Amino acid sequence: MSIGEDIIFEYLHMEIVNVVAGREGIHNKDLIVSKLEKMGHRVGQGMIDRFTKDSPRFKDELDIMKFICKDFWTAVFKKQVDNLRTNHQGVYVLLDKKFRLLTHLSSEKEYVEIAPKFIAFSCGLIRGALSNFGLISIVTADVNSLPECRFQVQIHR
Amino acid sequence: MIFNLYIYDRSGTCLFYHEWNRQKQVDVSREEDFKLMYGMTFSLKSFCNRISPTDPNIGFTSFKTSQYKLHFYETPSGLKFIMTTDLQIQGDIRFLMHTLYKDVFVEYAIRDPECELNKPIKSKLFSEKLNEFIQKQPQFGNIAQTALSSIVK
Amino acid sequence: MSRQSGRSNDPRKVSGELLTLTYGALVAQLVKDSESDDEVNKQLDKMGYNIGIRLIEDFLARSSIGKCKDLRETAEIISKNGFKMFLNITPIVANWNQSGDEFSLIIDNNPLTEFAELPDEHKSLSYCNILCGVVRGALEMVQLEVETKIVQDQLKGDNVTELKVKYIRKIEEAAPAGDD
Repeated sequence: MSIGEDIIFEYLHMEIVNVVAGREGIHNKDLIVSKLEKMGHRVGQGMIDRFTKDSPRFKDELDIMKFICKDFWTAVFKKQVDNLRTNHQGVYVLLDKKFRLLTHLSSEKEYVEIAPKFIAFSCGLIRGALSNFGLISIVTADVNSLPECRFQVQIHR
Repeated sequence: MIFNLYIYDRSGTCLFYHEWNRQKQVDVSREEDFKLMYGMTFSLKSFCNRISPTDPNIGFTSFKTSQYKLHFYETPSGLKFIMTTDLQIQGDIRFLMHTLYKDVFVEYAIRDPECELNKPIKSKLFSEKLNEFIQKQPQFGNIAQTALSSIVK
Repeated sequence: MSRQSGRSNDPRKVSGELLTLTYGALVAQLVKDSESDDEVNKQLDKMGYNIGIRLIEDFLARSSIGKCKDLRETAEIISKNGFKMFLNITPIVANWNQSGDEFSLIIDNNPLTEFAELPDEHKSLSYCNILCGVVRGALEMVQLEVETKIVQDQLKGDNVTELKVKYIRKIEEAAPAGDD
């Protein structure tokens, strides 16, 4: 059974998406996504501040990515990333087959189109977390079929 | 055997309807059927409370005819789950409906950001999950099975 | 801040922090986007309401709590079950008025404000106003119309945060529409 705070978080996230989307209007998709992404970024930074206080130092970038996919993902999204791939040149693809913030969304085609606003905050969250390790990145995501989500992290070197 | 299920919000809007083993169709439109069902249970509920010889705690929960049984479960928030079954049905159907409320309705309607609360539920995920839930109930049954078991008896 | 290790062993704490930080980011964004503190307060209340009308179903489904017999019972359930389930705190129910239609939830160590500070130029911001909306929305779904208001606020130097709940009326069940 889920923890009460998790339920509140999901409802809060739902309302945040509603309010931001409502304020910016449906035609301003990019602005909606960027606003949500920025909020997530802020939260991601804060989470890492509190999360890694007692963690050992990481030896390299891949080590950090593994931490994000396991510990961080489990803490924030309640499960591990299902698959992590990299080209060893700073691009990482993280596949979550049942992404927390998409599990209650109905799986029809039209939903796939509105999915970006439901993952923008999470993209920011990951970017914020990475920035606290000194990694500057761009995080994007795409949804082909719900509730699966593929995140792409591009690290600037 | 489960025949059909109605879910109403507290203003009487039918949020969801599905039938599984209903063998005879009503001779009115869907809309009319929803209205009649809501009106009938509403009246029964208030009538049962009015004539209750003791302070009614839960009130109206079910009735049966020679052919079917109607089960009524209302949440404190006024959502109404109404299910009809055959007479052989075993077990606590109101508990089944509570579980359906908790595991399907809350999870896939209430928590779906795209689901508007007082409109009929359009989500396919919801109807899939609901179907899955109902069909795995031991009470679900189907016509062939029932016929077989009555021969065995 | 506590410094104990193995924090990932306490999922409830991590979940709480995610919630607190997300809420903080929301308030910061609203403050930035709004003309006045009052506008932010209203928006938070509205968001809370939208959460409350859904959250109540989660609550009822999980707790199997039936209808309350009076406002005193309702108040206790909000505190001991509702707040406990979702924020892991149990506000004290106090300050009943004489006619028994008004009470307060007294919140000490509010998780929402754990990392928050109110800047000087936002003294009329009611940071936790979302709670007013949540309680109002949730109660409306169980046929109780109430007014809610934060009357004391730890972020403004008060000893506790006090959420006042005033009963307005019972919402009667709608009779079926129809001609017969």
